[in-house]
Amino acid sequence: MRLEKCWFCSSTVYPGHGIQFVRNDAKIFHFCRSKCHKNFKMKRNPRKVKWTKAYRRLHGKDMTQDSTFEFERKRNRPERYDRNLAENTLKAIKKIDKIRSDRASDHIKNRLKTGKVQRQKEARKQLELGIHLVKAPLALAQDSSLCLPKIKVNVSQAQTEENQPMEE
Amino acid sequence: MCIRVIGASNHRYAHIGDVIVAVIKEAVPNTPLERSEVIRAVIVRTRKELKRDNGMIIRYDDNAAVVIDQEGNPKGTRIFGAIARELRQLNFTKIVSLAPEVL
Repeated sequence: MRLEKCWFCSSTVYPGHGIQFVRNDAKIFHFCRSKCHKNFKMKRNPRKVKWTKAYRRLHGKDMTQDSTFEFERKRNRPERYDRNLAENTLKAIKKIDKIRSDRASDHIKNRLKTGKVQRQKEARKQLELGIHLVKAPLALAQDSSLCLPKIKVNVSQAQTEENQPMEE
Repeated sequence: MCIRVIGASNHRYAHIGDVIVAVIKEAVPNTPLERSEVIRAVIVRTRKELKRDNGMIIRYDDNAAVVIDQEGNPKGTRIFGAIARELRQLNFTKIVSLAPEVL
């Protein structure tokens, strides 16, 4: 049993899922679901289809180079079964997975940081220009900060403290 | 061209591993087989998906068959292209051994 990668979208294909296509030159293409298979039949290039991993890696949206990718290389030599080795590998898989996904999300967060800063700057500018829409110029003259004027509301004192049960 | 599927009386279609009776429509000159000769062949690749017990589904790029004689030995000496692993269970060992790739 082997977990393959979908040729089109690069997600893992688990046993019992997907279709394998064997071309006449004996190259095998694995597909995770019929969506990828149909796109392949349409002769679409995965590097141009926005939702595939190939596109995202090519256009710098996802992390491309990291030392955690070295652990997942394809090995063709079968290992003799050793219980300790199997146990340690399982523990390591979990840890490495966590590290890799943390690094990937950091990469995306850093990528989106500049956009966030830009949006905040634009919002501030819009507030400065349009403050007259929400705050009367007289109030602005009295209190020149860019927030709404403070309004004092008198609240009646007598409030019961126990929770009244809801009426049925 | 396929004339009949052997082995079961009412098979509508043949799948990988079925023996068929076929007639030769086109032949390369100077070979032991001639046009309009009726022969038997075993199907080794189909464009229709082959489903395996472990859930694997395999589809090839073309439909192909290997010409055999009455015992099941291939008439030729070479086989081109990949072969499905199912043929080994069906005792077509000679074909499997000649194949360049078994998938």
